[in-house]
Amino acid sequence: MSELIPHEIRGWKIQEEAKKYNRETIFEYIDGAGEVYRMYAFRELEVFRFTKPDEPDIVLEMFDMTASVDAFGVFTHGREGEEVCIGQGSDYRGGLLCFWKDKYFVCIYAEGTSEKALNTVLDLGKTIDGAIIVIGPKPEVLKYLPQGGLIENSLRFFHTHVSLNYHYFLADSNILNLDDKTDAVLARYDKSEGKSLLLLISYPNEDLAHLAFNGFMIAYMPEAQETHVLQTEDSTWVAAKTEHNVVAIVFEAVEKEAAERLLREVVVIK
Amino acid sequence: MAETENRITRRDFIRGTTCATLALAMGIGLEAQEKEKPLKLTKVMLVRDEKVFDKEGRIDPMVIQKMMDDAVTVLFDKKKPVEAWKTIIKPKDIVGIKSNAWGSLPTPDALEQTLKRGILDAGVDEKNISIDDRGVLGNKVFQKATALINARPLRTHAWSGVGSLLKNYIMFVPSPSDYHGNTCADLAAIWKLPIVKDKTRLNVLVMLEPLFHGVGRHHFDKKYTWKYHGLLVGTDPVAVDAVGLHIFKAKRLEYFGEDRPMTPPPHHIAFADTKHHLGTSDLEKIELVKLGWKEGILI
Repeated sequence: MSELIPHEIRGWKIQEEAKKYNRETIFEYIDGAGEVYRMYAFRELEVFRFTKPDEPDIVLEMFDMTASVDAFGVFTHGREGEEVCIGQGSDYRGGLLCFWKDKYFVCIYAEGTSEKALNTVLDLGKTIDGAIIVIGPKPEVLKYLPQGGLIENSLRFFHTHVSLNYHYFLADSNILNLDDKTDAVLARYDKSEGKSLLLLISYPNEDLAHLAFNGFMIAYMPEAQETHVLQTEDSTWVAAKTEHNVVAIVFEAVEKEAAERLLREVVVIK
Repeated sequence: MAETENRITRRDFIRGTTCATLALAMGIGLEAQEKEKPLKLTKVMLVRDEKVFDKEGRIDPMVIQKMMDDAVTVLFDKKKPVEAWKTIIKPKDIVGIKSNAWGSLPTPDALEQTLKRGILDAGVDEKNISIDDRGVLGNKVFQKATALINARPLRTHAWSGVGSLLKNYIMFVPSPSDYHGNTCADLAAIWKLPIVKDKTRLNVLVMLEPLFHGVGRHHFDKKYTWKYHGLLVGTDPVAVDAVGLHIFKAKRLEYFGEDRPMTPPPHHIAFADTKHHLGTSDLEKIELVKLGWKEGILI
């Protein structure tokens, strides 16, 4: 990845050796949160340090996520800041810039708060963005998300049961048969009829989707095996359907009609 | 196929048929339930002092000393702090103070020194006391320790929900990633390992200026800290963590104006109770004793 990194920017010079971490050694650098990257197809992390006299160091973390969908996924895992138009998606808050492009997920921050350093963080991001030529595709499953009322930065893309429970606890066991071959997206909606949450899961084939759907119905809403819509004990509504290889579930809708309407807006075309 | 036995779903939490603390950690509201008052309550001290920070925002060691003195004397029902320390530490003990070195929010030096002072007052030789975090496995005092004092700030954490007293012992295992499963659900299992089992005499959860919200790994943001001016002190780490978590939730409710669930859910605190039986996370079973400043107490 070093070929994508400038040796100097605004007087900050790169230190000679980048530190490298793989799926096994990432905990030496990141501690427990290394698991976030391991929930995706994380391959390698390189950490570069830029120094300039009398200025805070700038740290650049460059993750090779194997595929663009997983670079996008890990980017969506925790975003809450401002989009600053770097890469294919960016998040800037409190001096920390994160963005994704192609198969790369990049985080840059200064170890101090000088204005020069903060500006250099952004410039470094733009430089690396320019050096990555390839535009990577986003996950296919995103195209089934209804656009009306979608809260864009609530969107989370992931694969596994652990990821789902990280963002929205559903069950302690894997009742939707999620694994590294499933593509899932969770997103919040704010429509005129109220807020709700939509989960879409794309399985490798229709049989697996139907198997997971039936398992979910038994485990989560056994009272609604025919209607596939149910008012839960907190008075909100959950509705589910399967279409081709996709399972769609609406949670926390304030009205039955709102749950069913959002579900109808999910159209899976094959 | 999905498993069918012993499954816990979100709906179980909504119904209130499983652990209340866990449900609250996940942002799931519960109907009020009638509970039988337990006979024996676990005591947790909440001590606060509005003067713990000076005008420059620095921690005043004298005030920290007084806060700890007040906490231990009431916790152990003694007249003087030294008597309290002597109930938990003996002169022949070898004592490790497990602190936390996280750069943005470490265990304050003033607190570490206050704890050391208490241990010295109990008669322990200084050479038999050590303060450490990441080096505990290689630290000779910790290797031979007969007693541990656990002290760290409460903060949000990218993989365990909160950095808690329970989580503070993860440095006692050679491979911390072994305990990362299900977002650190089983951290309490560490407390059963020989290097720490039954050695912890006191837990201090630092609530001076906690970090109550964060997203992602590099998530320290000063705007999500607040000066709470408090310390939570007790012998049961699960109970102390549970109280801290409830204060967090109250703060998040106040700040965000809604009951925003923590991601990931800090369920290791509830599991420490319900699965590992290390202590209690049920506020109904905790006697919370409040000392000092009451403004903005949130609990």
